[in-house]
Amino acid sequence: MRTERNIYSFLRKNHLTIVSLLLALFSLHLALTGKREFERGYLLKELFSYTLAPAGRVALGAENAVKDVWSGYIALMGVKDDNAALTKTVLALRDENNRLKEEIRLNERLRALVDYKDSLPYYTTGAAIIGFNMERWTRTIVIDKGAESGMMRDRAVIAPQGIVGRTLDVQGRTSRVLLATDLRSNIDVIVERTRVKGVVEGNGTDGLILKYVRQVDDVQVGDRIMTSGLSGVFPKGLIAGEVVKIEKGGDNFFKHIEVRPSVDIGKIEEVLVLREDTFHN
Amino acid sequence: MREFLVFLPLTIAYFALKSTLFAGFPLPDIPLIIVFYMAYRRAALEGVLSAFAFGYLDDAFSGGIIGTTSFALVIIFLAVHQLSKLVQFTTPAIRAAGILAAALVKGALMYYVLTVTNVDVYFLSRVFLDAIVTGLLAPAVIALLQKLNAFAAPHKFKDSEN
Repeated sequence: MRTERNIYSFLRKNHLTIVSLLLALFSLHLALTGKREFERGYLLKELFSYTLAPAGRVALGAENAVKDVWSGYIALMGVKDDNAALTKTVLALRDENNRLKEEIRLNERLRALVDYKDSLPYYTTGAAIIGFNMERWTRTIVIDKGAESGMMRDRAVIAPQGIVGRTLDVQGRTSRVLLATDLRSNIDVIVERTRVKGVVEGNGTDGLILKYVRQVDDVQVGDRIMTSGLSGVFPKGLIAGEVVKIEKGGDNFFKHIEVRPSVDIGKIEEVLVLREDTFHN
Repeated sequence: MREFLVFLPLTIAYFALKSTLFAGFPLPDIPLIIVFYMAYRRAALEGVLSAFAFGYLDDAFSGGIIGTTSFALVIIFLAVHQLSKLVQFTTPAIRAAGILAAALVKGALMYYVLTVTNVDVYFLSRVFLDAIVTGLLAPAVIALLQKLNAFAAPHKFKDSEN
């Protein structure tokens, strides 16, 4: 009886520490076993696809609204009344002009994307980027196409300049794309000039590392790196990047090669996702 | 539960902004500051559950490995809770220093977990930058949290919160 009371007293006194440690262990379990899961966190992620995407659009819309208020109202303060209407007209025309210019740029981008899409021997789906996550060790983007548009996990995401990444999580209306520059990304590649094989991995910032190339292999700065088609996600022949630096590796067996990605993720707004039946084409 | 519900919209708004308008910018780590605030002020079961939930949300929003951030935040909650028995986080300078240290610990814990999961992590520069930004802005964020908390709290004649 006394022992039970002691145990109860101990648990009551240290419940916070015990719960904390249990939750920490549970988190660790999730992290250590979560690399291959596909359903874990499904409900939350599905919820986010319905809340974050609109929130993202609202946030981007708010930015435009603030800009509109700034250019349409605050900039007009102090202008004489008889000039107000004229100034307003000029501003409206300028806004219209900017909007049209933006539409032309969008049209050019989409035309280039469509031309590229038509030139590909694969079935693809176009998608717009609606979110970026450039964390310490994570490089992902969110696109506006999800399961409702036929998206699936582990599909290649590309742009006219080259590979972007692969789909990581697919929700109803959005998908998260693991960029090639993420630390978790591994892509089988070959050096275009010499056909030397290797694997490019993300360095967690905005670069790639070409691994498993031996000291005796012929690779030079400026060589183009292309997908080998061996990974099963990326078809053969897509451009991954260009060699920018070669050093002797620490193990004296492999070279340490830095590769600049062909796609500057900060400068693209639309991507193509290869569809499931890509390799049957 | 009330505090969690008060801080949850703030955290979600933070995650939404971080992945849209401020992608790539070094922003203060709001979930970490909230966890720190809940831990030193009045550590309760709600706090540790909030730490886990905010960490889980962070991982889910950022596309990281689920469990990494929640592990770090829960450990930090426990550590700050224990530390608050010895140190009074009453002045902005002490809070800033405490949160800077917590941000570094969070970076180190996440680095450890990612290394164990065979993710080839080999740089820490961003951790220091984020820790400094978070530490510098922490007093202002804590003041905001206190206002939010007071706004949502039932009115009392004497409020002993610090």
